[in-house]
Amino acid sequence: MFEFFRLSRQILGMNARNLKYIRPFNLSRAKKLADNKLLSKKILAKNNISVPKLIAKIRTVEELENFDWQSLPEGFALKPNRGFGGEGILVVYGKKKNSDNIWIKADRSSVTVEDLKTHVRNILDGSFSLSGTPDIAFFEERLQLLKLFKPYSYKGIPDIRVIVFNKVPLMAMLRLPTKSSSGKANLQQGAIGVGIDIATGTTTTAVLGKNKIIEYVPGTRLLLSGIKLPYWNDILKLAVRAQEISGLGFLGADIAIDKVNGPTIIELNARPGLSIQVANLAGLKERLEKAAGIKIKTAEKGIRVGKDLFGGEIEEELEEISGRKVIGTVEKVKLIGKDGKEIEVEAKIDTGAYSTSIDTELAKELGFEKTLNDFENISLTGYIINPENESFIKKDILEKHKESIPDLDDIAIIFSASGSSIRPVVALELILDETKLFSKVNVTKRNDLKYPMIIGKRSLSKFLIDVNK
Amino acid sequence: MNTSPIIDFFLGQGVPFTTVILILMLPIIATFIAFLRQVVGIKAFGIYAPLIVTFAFLATNGLKYGIAIFVTVIFSGMLMRFVLKPFRLLYLPRVAIMLTAVAILILGILVIGGEFKRTGLAAVSIFPILIMITIVEKFVAVQIEKGDKAAIVLAIETLVISILGFFIASSSTLIHFLALYPWAVLFTIPINIMLGKWTGLRVSEYFRFRKIMKNL
Repeated sequence: MFEFFRLSRQILGMNARNLKYIRPFNLSRAKKLADNKLLSKKILAKNNISVPKLIAKIRTVEELENFDWQSLPEGFALKPNRGFGGEGILVVYGKKKNSDNIWIKADRSSVTVEDLKTHVRNILDGSFSLSGTPDIAFFEERLQLLKLFKPYSYKGIPDIRVIVFNKVPLMAMLRLPTKSSSGKANLQQGAIGVGIDIATGTTTTAVLGKNKIIEYVPGTRLLLSGIKLPYWNDILKLAVRAQEISGLGFLGADIAIDKVNGPTIIELNARPGLSIQVANLAGLKERLEKAAGIKIKTAEKGIRVGKDLFGGEIEEELEEISGRKVIGTVEKVKLIGKDGKEIEVEAKIDTGAYSTSIDTELAKELGFEKTLNDFENISLTGYIINPENESFIKKDILEKHKESIPDLDDIAIIFSASGSSIRPVVALELILDETKLFSKVNVTKRNDLKYPMIIGKRSLSKFLIDVNK
Repeated sequence: MNTSPIIDFFLGQGVPFTTVILILMLPIIATFIAFLRQVVGIKAFGIYAPLIVTFAFLATNGLKYGIAIFVTVIFSGMLMRFVLKPFRLLYLPRVAIMLTAVAILILGILVIGGEFKRTGLAAVSIFPILIMITIVEKFVAVQIEKGDKAAIVLAIETLVISILGFFIASSSTLIHFLALYPWAVLFTIPINIMLGKWTGLRVSEYFRFRKIMKNL
């Protein structure tokens, strides 16, 4: 019970968010900026921050009547200036064939000029702002969906919410529109929120709607964790810069990745929601408190601090401290053969073996067929294999055959309980967990064994092995 | 009943006893609603709506009629949203039409009550009925902002708070206490200052974030 309350202190609740963070850090002038999309767009653009380009705006009914609808491009988004929760946004993807004034929406329904007029009129009358105050309608360029996100999102564009405080990016989440959110990237409307590791920009855990933890995109076998977001550093930098410019001390920046322009700020949020904590399965309050005391001058420093303090799992921290990577007992290894041929195999990580060895067939595929055939043909029967003779045998064979057998790098003599053997050694390049290694590997028949390759101690100096992985 | 001198003074000036007690109840119910919001996490439609509905309940003859009227109001608000959606009307005219519909429906309920010899319903005075009809505007506003589901949840929360408030305000122990110590209502001020500075998690948030807790 006591433990429960201690843990709960890491979580940011509504009371603390309002009283301790929004009230003192988001002053009313900054809040007004965030709530006014046109103004924040203008100010961000002025500071060379990428935002969706403004096409046109309509402020009054008069302007609506005189508006030149032909001036609109094929695809655009029509938005209310002070809309909330993604309400009142209309997006068209292209014009209907052989038609000048009919556009097509994502669900293939068509939109006429009359429809657009009605929608603009509703915006002007304030139908999408709660207080019912008159609003401005504007058209902006439509962002284009990145190929990477295509399988994950249902119509609409996913965006990335980054919470920034004291120039430190604290927490981030990828929001994927779903069918039940009708293409909107809003958790309250049923979108998916996917937690992101601040250090690497890789997705971790996910929540559907406000509280349902999921692993896959509903109805598919698409894993939501492990998606590596492109432009991660640029995204963090954009978020921190947006905080500097807007003056919002506690900011939720919404960033989309456009196919053409890359990371683009679509909205600034002065009252970011708390569900991001569920998506990340982590508490925001603890992070806010950690980031509060640090003096940070530049955006770069803030990003570094954020990555160091809040990024990565223990594994990455360990890798950082030791400078070594953590691998499991079975790992995928990419082997690069003689003429650049790449083969990926599963290898057993064996700290009981000194050297690395691969299967004969595998070596042949990698282009060492002649080496192996020639080695087969030399007579090894004259040698008595025991540790005393080791250096003599090696020297003798190398002297006789090194020149005649191509690519024979060395000879390995293996003493083991199941029988000792003399094996040819070739030099290989291999990639293990993104680390390139040049390794001498001996070749032997392993076709009756589970793994075609074992990696021994000699190749493992740059790694730590986690047997649970 | 024992009363404090200040209450006697009011009575002497011709202020009815029930009026004095109702006014003294106001800060207590308001504090109760603030507590439910900040500490428990029950939102309802702000503070005004549950407060006014509580008093409307107190003014109707018996809780059941009050609840019947409240449910009718919310139900017709929901119904009218679907009816009016295709017309795409502006906010105020839309609310005006809804109020009209609610008013007619309430009238119908009163008539039906009379048919079934539920004279208690027809005897409800007009002001609590009017008060509850105005709740429909709150309901519509939330429907637009947060959708139908959220609006219904908030309506139910409002109803629950109002019923609790009704029982608090009609508790004879509390009425006797206030008659004796009317100054006690001033204690709601320090309580509210504490509530206003409260930054802990709400009870509802322990539930909302339980999955994080498991993972920490």
